[in-house]
Amino acid sequence: MPHADGDSLTVLVIDDEPQIRRLVRNALTAEVIPLDTERDGAATACAARVLEAETGQAGIDLAAAEAPALVILDLGLPDMEGLEVCREIRCWSSAPIIVLSARHSDTVKAALLDAGADDYLTKPFSTVEFMARVRAQLRRARRPGAGGTSAVVAFGDLVVDQQRRRVERSGEPIHLTPTEWGLLRALVTHPRQTLTHQQLFKTVWGNVSGDAQQYLRVYVGHLRRKIEHDPVRPRFIQTEPGVGYRFEPDAGAT
Amino acid sequence: MSVARRYATEGAFRGPVVTRWSLWLGAVLVATLAMYLVRPSLDKAHGTLAFLLLVLGASAAGGRALGLTVAALGFLCFDFFFLPPYNTLTITNPLDWLVLVAFLVTSAVATQLLYRANATAAAATARAIEVDRLAALGAETLNAADAYEALQAIAGVIRASVDADECDIYMMYGAEDRATLVARAVQPPAGRAASALAVAGSFDDRGSWPAPAKAGSLIDWIVEHGTSAVELADGTVRVARGPASAPASPRASGMLREDPLTAALEAVTRREEDAGLAIRGENDDGARGAPVEPIVRALAFPLRARDRTVGVLRIASAASLTLSPEQARLLTALAYYAALGAERARLTATAERAEAERRVERLRSALLTAISHDLRTPLTTIKGIAEEIRRGADRELAAVIEGEADWLDSLVGDLLDLSRIYSGAVRPALAVNTVDDLLGAALRRASGALRGHEVEVDQPKDELLAGVFDFTQTLRILVNLLDNAGKYSPPGSRIDVGARVRADRLTIDVMDRGPGVPEAERSRIFESFYRPPGVPPDVRGHGLGLAIARGLAEAQEGSVRFSPRSGGGSIFTLELPAAPAFTPEPDRSSIG
Repeated sequence: MPHADGDSLTVLVIDDEPQIRRLVRNALTAEVIPLDTERDGAATACAARVLEAETGQAGIDLAAAEAPALVILDLGLPDMEGLEVCREIRCWSSAPIIVLSARHSDTVKAALLDAGADDYLTKPFSTVEFMARVRAQLRRARRPGAGGTSAVVAFGDLVVDQQRRRVERSGEPIHLTPTEWGLLRALVTHPRQTLTHQQLFKTVWGNVSGDAQQYLRVYVGHLRRKIEHDPVRPRFIQTEPGVGYRFEPDAGAT
Repeated sequence: MSVARRYATEGAFRGPVVTRWSLWLGAVLVATLAMYLVRPSLDKAHGTLAFLLLVLGASAAGGRALGLTVAALGFLCFDFFFLPPYNTLTITNPLDWLVLVAFLVTSAVATQLLYRANATAAAATARAIEVDRLAALGAETLNAADAYEALQAIAGVIRASVDADECDIYMMYGAEDRATLVARAVQPPAGRAASALAVAGSFDDRGSWPAPAKAGSLIDWIVEHGTSAVELADGTVRVARGPASAPASPRASGMLREDPLTAALEAVTRREEDAGLAIRGENDDGARGAPVEPIVRALAFPLRARDRTVGVLRIASAASLTLSPEQARLLTALAYYAALGAERARLTATAERAEAERRVERLRSALLTAISHDLRTPLTTIKGIAEEIRRGADRELAAVIEGEADWLDSLVGDLLDLSRIYSGAVRPALAVNTVDDLLGAALRRASGALRGHEVEVDQPKDELLAGVFDFTQTLRILVNLLDNAGKYSPPGSRIDVGARVRADRLTIDVMDRGPGVPEAERSRIFESFYRPPGVPPDVRGHGLGLAIARGLAEAQEGSVRFSPRSGGGSIFTLELPAAPAFTPEPDRSSIG
């Protein structure tokens, strides 16, 4: 279980390049990371304790020994594939993993997410963007099953009643097909998290492969046309090009 | 006999043999009887003429054998009934001998002439069919858009022409110039609709068929030595001794022939006298003293064009491979087409490679120019500002470094993409994607360049447009087009994006109110490192965006076009294959 020791938060950085490690360490220690836990309601904050590993194997060992709250993993490691490291850590740890990669294809990105990574950043990235992703992952890790705590969830004018399988927009009920409902539920129960095409297939259709799967994007298109005001500029269901889709619950507020 | 039988199958003579024979022999008897009744008033000349007519008729309808038989029967009847003394075969008058001999000789000559005329006509018909086939194949070969399709067609025709189960064409291909299987036609399984082209070869599949393990090394051997080979049923291989008297392989016994194809054909061609027999190897007619030949399963020989081996042709049968002389002749001609086809495919491949190399080379020289200017300018800026900051200048200056770094990053990305496109390394991951997704992602990604512009999207409200394309590559195309529109049109001007599906094509128009493109520049805007003249220096571009857009579109059966916009401005149109119509599922009014 990822944890914050007293008032410190352990972050593991696995990268063979010292310059990148320094950049990430500076970014992580430069600011106080807010921990807005729901239980006490009050926002607490802590400084990050940064562990560094130069190789994949060292990273796996450190992750096992120190149980970090967050793992930053570079893909271009000298000793093993980043994908393997990701899979290995995911076997026994639920800590969020953010992957740093140079120009990699979307297939690789999707494979990483399928292997258990939670987010990825392409080099060169800005530290502002990096910290935003770090905070988002920590926030999600601390609120497991967000959206699942209550049967009825409202996102702006969109209301999703999971128990009664009902969706309303601006008070008007929306009729969804079973597939559309399956997609919406999968997205809503994993807010701010990119679900790969593969993950969505599995959630909605199970393990069967069929014609329907190649039309996943068409199903999402139909769903968007029902719940979004402007399907080309969606507020809720965001496209992660070549990788999958992400539900943005906060977008409804703006 | 055998020839007559073979022609019989081609329709020169009709009806069962027995009927025909009894009919004509009966006619002789009837004529004899009729003339016998009027014998007192009959002249000898009348009798011979009547019999002669019957002989001509019989040989025309039944061939040489029937003609001669009728002649013989007529001879006997005439002598017996109409030459005195009657009812004996004896002849007293020497002049009657003359009549009889004249009748016999005339009959024999007429029969032989008729037979020959018929045979010639039949051969001419067969030749005409052959010529037709070759002409059709020639036209097909020339018409085929793709040299590999042409080879595939040739393989199909060869297989059908020689009644083989399989015909493979290997071509010298690639950097190592190894023989690669490029076309294969196989006998369709019984019961299935016959199709000569069992395997449709496409550019990407080339060489992916597993070549028979034994055939593989044999093909290489054939290429190396320029000789032909036959594979026997017992698993051994016989090779022809090549012109350069190449050393025969240990198991092979030489066939001692100069021309590789002739030598190979010799082994599988039925001799004229064997024509009626299906399998030569099984002909164990000891009386003729022919040695028992092993059964031939496959035949492979080099294809030669312009004095070099351009490929290998292999035909094989599961049972036994035998060719009629006509088929052998046809195969010789068809092999020539196969050689030309292989040569054409090889030249095409070489030309494509040369074109790719030429483009990469052009990109490389352009890259050198770019490095000296486009890369050095931002690096100089970065270095200068970093030093200023270290000396205590305003930290806000770091924003300039960020901007320059971003610009360098996008330039490096563009150059990588362009080199990948030009070297043909782009492999689009085609999938059904929606226009909503594409436009949404593109507008988000191009938001920087589009700042200050109103973007109006026009697409059917009640229809979800979808196409078959690679999402990220197409996103890149659209972002490049939107970037250009934002960059080159006056601030505050509206940019229109229109999407529609017509027939089976999806088109997306990006329309701006910028200066447009002068007529003279239109052909150049899609070239790499093109920059429009007279652009203010604050509009920075790499001059690679449109080249990348077009390259990525063409890699997935799409296109990017420019057209002037009425009222001023540019329209850039991206065209892609539309997705087949799809109804997801009945839209139930309620769920659960």
